[in-house]
Amino acid sequence: MNELSRAQIRDLMAQVLKNQDKELPADDAAQLREIGFRSLDFSELALRVEDETGEELNFDAPGLRRIATVGDVLDFLVELQHQ
Amino acid sequence: MSEPADTQLVPPSSVVLVSGGSRGLGLAIVTDLLDAGVRVAVFARTITPELEKLAAEHPDRVHVGSVDVTDLRAAQSFIREVEQHLGPIDGVVNNAAMGQDSLHAHTATDDIARIIETNLTAPLQLTRLVVRRMLAKGLRGRIVNITSICGQRGFPGLVAYSATKGGMDAATRSLARELGGRVLVNSVAPGFFASEMSAVLGPTQLDQIVRRTPTGHLTEPVEVTPVVRMLLREHTNINGQVIVVDGAAAS
Repeated sequence: MNELSRAQIRDLMAQVLKNQDKELPADDAAQLREIGFRSLDFSELALRVEDETGEELNFDAPGLRRIATVGDVLDFLVELQHQ
Repeated sequence: MSEPADTQLVPPSSVVLVSGGSRGLGLAIVTDLLDAGVRVAVFARTITPELEKLAAEHPDRVHVGSVDVTDLRAAQSFIREVEQHLGPIDGVVNNAAMGQDSLHAHTATDDIARIIETNLTAPLQLTRLVVRRMLAKGLRGRIVNITSICGQRGFPGLVAYSATKGGMDAATRSLARELGGRVLVNSVAPGFFASEMSAVLGPTQLDQIVRRTPTGHLTEPVEVTPVVRMLLREHTNINGQVIVVDGAAAS
């Protein structure tokens, strides 16, 4: 399976934000609420990762609710690719 | 077909089949019906100690079976056992259901199929089985479908679930018409239970619902059981209705 690295996912995340004229901070601890990265943006990012890897990424909402920082998003998607 | 109305009253149900009665609302319904003197047939995928205890306490009035609601053949033989043990079934509570907590775009296709099979196809099939028995024996009876406020109002993360609950509410209306007053068919649609925390909605969403609820609290199973009992036991002319029990959260 063609798996994306954390850095590659970070690039995709930056693109999602850039389309909304927002910037992705370099700091992994940056709060999603402050950047304006919402749950549908997370959906968009997950679907972009799917497009790159050709594998569906399905997940429940509770996992999503724990995500608060940029690092959380990247960790979640890296881990999801292993499931 | 337009026929003269059947004016004979539907008697209170005396043998009630409850699906998914091993925990939560289902178990509360079983307990409440037993307290009201009804004979109760309960099945669930897993029989809990609470259900075993009820069966031991009322050996003549409870019949318990481990049946997956989607296993039609098992449901059919369970119904035969119940008829032998408790007598003909003249009441059904379609309660067994599975929840959902995932955005539609990220829900696996197999999971969507499973939710629809468990929450919509299975209760329709079970209802068909029991209605056939009722009609064949000339019995009058009552059916209560446990649905959800999701059948009428939108909630993120519950798309397939909502579709099944709305589907059961729609089936309730058509079945009530089709059965021409021989069987009373209604839905009870509870709001969210506090116990569903994290299982269906997150704490933030639940807090928001509580704030919007005039009665100031989430629905409890004991607030739903009297309504189910009324539909099964009282002489009312309620038929083909969806009764919402949510403290006006969605009003």
